[in-house]
Amino acid sequence: MNGTPRGFNRFLLGLLGLVLLVLGAAVVALAAVPAAGSWWQGWSAPQLESLRALAARTRLSPTMGSWIWVLAAACLLVVVIVMVAWIANQGKGRTGILLERAGSAEDDGAAGKVVLSCAVAEQALKSALSERTDLASAYVSSWNFRGQASLRVRVLPRQGVAPHEVAGDIGALVESLDRLLGVQVPVLVSIGSGARSRFTKAERVR
Amino acid sequence: MTGFTQRLLKRETHSSRAPLSVAAAILVSLLAVYCLLEALLRAFGQPEWLVDPLTAADRLSRLPAGIPAVLLGSIGVLAFLLGLVFLAHAVLPGRRARHVMADPRVVVVVDDEVIASALARCARVAAGVTREQVVVVVSAASVQVNVRPTSGIGIDGGRIQAAVDSEVAAMGLDPVPTVAVHLASTGVIGV
Repeated sequence: MNGTPRGFNRFLLGLLGLVLLVLGAAVVALAAVPAAGSWWQGWSAPQLESLRALAARTRLSPTMGSWIWVLAAACLLVVVIVMVAWIANQGKGRTGILLERAGSAEDDGAAGKVVLSCAVAEQALKSALSERTDLASAYVSSWNFRGQASLRVRVLPRQGVAPHEVAGDIGALVESLDRLLGVQVPVLVSIGSGARSRFTKAERVR
Repeated sequence: MTGFTQRLLKRETHSSRAPLSVAAAILVSLLAVYCLLEALLRAFGQPEWLVDPLTAADRLSRLPAGIPAVLLGSIGVLAFLLGLVFLAHAVLPGRRARHVMADPRVVVVVDDEVIASALARCARVAAGVTREQVVVVVSAASVQVNVRPTSGIGIDGGRIQAAVDSEVAAMGLDPVPTVAVHLASTGVIGV
């Protein structure tokens, strides 16, 4: 439930994949087909000459190179910035505020604001879940999913534990949390198996 | 089911492609940083580090010459395969091995591994065999229960089927898998 830009990931991966496919096919053709090689040489030699002439004509000063290299460097810098921004956008979206409600003097006689931290819900759920012996571990985190603070509960049950019973118990816990807080927060329960739950022995007595 | 929940479930049951995206971004930015360095060295009239941009372009323009054909061909095949991997990640749906479970209050997703281990326990109790004699494989649309009986003791496939069926029904999975129980024709001894 994080804010990873999935569509953008797929778009850029697809673009990169297409570029690599075309480049790879072209290089294979160059290596394998003699006609492709002679065509490429015939086409690229005049292009290279014009590039050389342009670089010589646009020389900034006798000691410096042409400004087209500065232009190329600027374009590459933009590429690097886009790539760094792409990486930085993966897995973002954690939030710390579960609920924010402003009061007014007409409403209940006191102007002000109530801010409920996510730690309230996280710690209440985590402490309730850590008492259970059929769960190897439990993690609770809060995320901002489409402008709505939501809780993500990840539990790793031991081997052989029925997942629907775990889910039902967590549902009951969340309902009591609803009553405690007075608001209904979206909750995602993800039941999985980690290395710890896989290698510990199954519970034999319950 | 609201749109919010549907979006949430879609994201939880499909891969985000984040690891490959990060790898691709690092690859592209390393390449871009190197080209940036060479372009700037050239712009300020300094000697190049590895290869001057114009020399590189010159070598590229004469390509089939100046490099062994086998090396050039393998570089091309490598780039082609890498491109195929990227494109496949972009286009394929990327479903994760997870099921959605019905619940009135919370949204629940379960890894198939957890379902398999719960069903194995259920089948083991119904068949009266040890843990090692039951193997359960769970995929999106089917559950396969393989039971290897203890030698000399018959087991009832119908009972196992009924037990696993009722357990699957109690879980309320989406998509609903069909259960197939398979009893091995040979037994084990010494368990």
